Amino acid sequence: MYKLFSIQYVHGNKYRDLAVQRTVKKDVIEANRGSIYADDGSLLATSVPKYDIRFDAVTVSEENFNAEVNSLADSLAGLLGKSSGYYKEKLKKARRNKNRYTLIARNLGYSDYIKIKSFPIFKLGAYKGGIIVEQRTIREHPIAGIARRTIGWQSSGAGIEGAYGEDYLEGVNGERLKQKIAKGQYKPINDENEVEPKNGLDVISTINVNIQDIAHHALLEQLEKFEAEHGTVVVMETNSGEVKAIANLKRNSKGKYTEQLNHAIGEAHEPGSTFKLMVMVAALEDKAVDSSTVVDTENGILTFYGKHVRDSKRGGYGKISAARAFEVSSNTGIVKLVQKGFKDDPERFVNRLYNMGLNDKLGVAIKGEGRPMIPHPNDKIWSGISLPWMAYGYGVLLTPLQTLTFYNAIANNGEMVKPRFVKEVRDFKSRKPIKTFEKEVINPKICSDATIGKVKEMMRNVVVRGTAANIYSEDFSMAGKTGTCITDYGNKNAKKQYVASFSGYFPADNPKYSCIVVIHKPNTSIGYYGNVVAAPVFKKIAKKIYTDTPVVDEVEIGKSEYKALEKKYEEYLVKSRKEYKGVPDVIGMSGMDAISFLENLGLKVKVIGNGKVRKQSLNVGEKIDVSKEIVLELS
Amino acid sequence: MIASSHNAEKKVFAIGDLDKSVKELRSEYVDLRSQLMKLKMESEIAEKMKTRGLKSSEVPPQKIKVVTR
Repeated sequence: MYKLFSIQYVHGNKYRDLAVQRTVKKDVIEANRGSIYADDGSLLATSVPKYDIRFDAVTVSEENFNAEVNSLADSLAGLLGKSSGYYKEKLKKARRNKNRYTLIARNLGYSDYIKIKSFPIFKLGAYKGGIIVEQRTIREHPIAGIARRTIGWQSSGAGIEGAYGEDYLEGVNGERLKQKIAKGQYKPINDENEVEPKNGLDVISTINVNIQDIAHHALLEQLEKFEAEHGTVVVMETNSGEVKAIANLKRNSKGKYTEQLNHAIGEAHEPGSTFKLMVMVAALEDKAVDSSTVVDTENGILTFYGKHVRDSKRGGYGKISAARAFEVSSNTGIVKLVQKGFKDDPERFVNRLYNMGLNDKLGVAIKGEGRPMIPHPNDKIWSGISLPWMAYGYGVLLTPLQTLTFYNAIANNGEMVKPRFVKEVRDFKSRKPIKTFEKEVINPKICSDATIGKVKEMMRNVVVRGTAANIYSEDFSMAGKTGTCITDYGNKNAKKQYVASFSGYFPADNPKYSCIVVIHKPNTSIGYYGNVVAAPVFKKIAKKIYTDTPVVDEVEIGKSEYKALEKKYEEYLVKSRKEYKGVPDVIGMSGMDAISFLENLGLKVKVIGNGKVRKQSLNVGEKIDVSKEIVLELS
Repeated sequence: MIASSHNAEKKVFAIGDLDKSVKELRSEYVDLRSQLMKLKMESEIAEKMKTRGLKSSEVPPQKIKVVTR
């Protein structure tokens, strides 16, 4: 009696709290994370459940286990790849050790999970068959290894996943109080959720699966061919700045090429000869040089403070115009032109580069953008060789995406647009865009139209008769600039390593896309020049896009002159498009029309004579019976 | 009171079951879709067609548009 009283009142609160604790829980209603789509609506990343399968070796009866263990092991071997003996041993061992939680397989997809559920023993279910299924939600990329780095990862914050995760994809988890009921379920206590969950929004990226596929495989093929260390390709739509494809491949320890780092965005490196475009634009704008200015490339060697600038062609090119120096990528030619124009006032030259935004980050949404570096004459690192070296792309740093943005600006007649990876954010249910990302202009006009015309002509000629003549095609036009640049030159003892690149746009007039290809450290015994290693990837992409775009021919046809015929046809069309429950009236119709008309209704038609229908064997309005035959008498 | 409580519990079970099937259907959808994505990728098709002696076209397709005035 006392005990009862004591429990009720003395310890009452404690036990009541305990009861609440045991039966009521605060339940988190997880918000679904949004998916990432390609520009055509293909899925790039989404959350899917994955299954871990475990086995409770004790719960299965002796009889069932012995009878089926062999066939279960066979089935598992068939699905999961290891030998049947391996699984047999594993299952038996688990049984011997009374292991109730033996791991069978991890991270199974849905279809495999369904298969495994139907295997012998397992198909008996959790209590008789001992199958334990654990489900988790993970993030999956349906197009596998392609564009992986740019799509990114939720956990590391890389790529689009990272950049748009918190604001859009994530959503907000909901919360509510639930009370325990039978079957291990909980029921909500209040009608309303205490905190409503808000599902994440879908992100539509600018990536085009087809172009991405081409770019990825073209790059892969070239990396394998030249045994290069890593490489990157970016394809951008000229006018909008939408990145249509971005591939980054690097050789891993097993010798396979995979997406590991976003080189295109993150890796600032010395651009080499592709930088000659920026140099040429600056010099032309300054009027220090014109495309027809003649320059003596001497013997292909210049010396500054005991260091040499060499042409890739021994002995140089003799006396050539500035435009030709660009086409054949003469280092000595370009260096001399820049020296002549800016030796006494290098600041003027550097400021021109700065004014075109070349020393600033683009500020792309994806994190980890590399910082560009163009030294200023006031900087400590500036020296007598800074200017001449800069003229052919050494001593400066740019990421492939920054270089591409500049080339794209030239292709886009001077309007520099910021590369974009995301088009819009959409609500999954209503399919309505919540936010659209518009084109962003960094600089509406980086240089004069006259300069653009001149450098465009030069870049076209690079492909027609310059360093990249090897990729010239009669069918479609391309324009661009090759680059071959020595890297890791600090180490004098090591073998020379190169960075081969090609940057440009296509078609040459009225460009649609611009593209950059950068391949690091190819095997020099196979090849290392930009035109040989990088340019073919560019050509492949340009060609594919060209062959995929239909050529439209318009043919004009005047209206038919046979008015009567047109009218009859119209009448027939109206009649045949109606729905009929009964046999229609075809008297007066031409035989040919009547046959097709009735046969389309499912009737069998027999015709006697020719001409127009005079008599029909089935009455008008009679229910259509497909087994019946209708006889038409024509005259 | 008891009846409606039971009723509510029944609904909770039903919701639980439906939730599970939504999840399963969603995973089936994604699984199949990702298989389809891989299959319809051009590089994949080109590889398969090699055995049949087909390769991709070298020239763009021609489209004839008929305009009546």
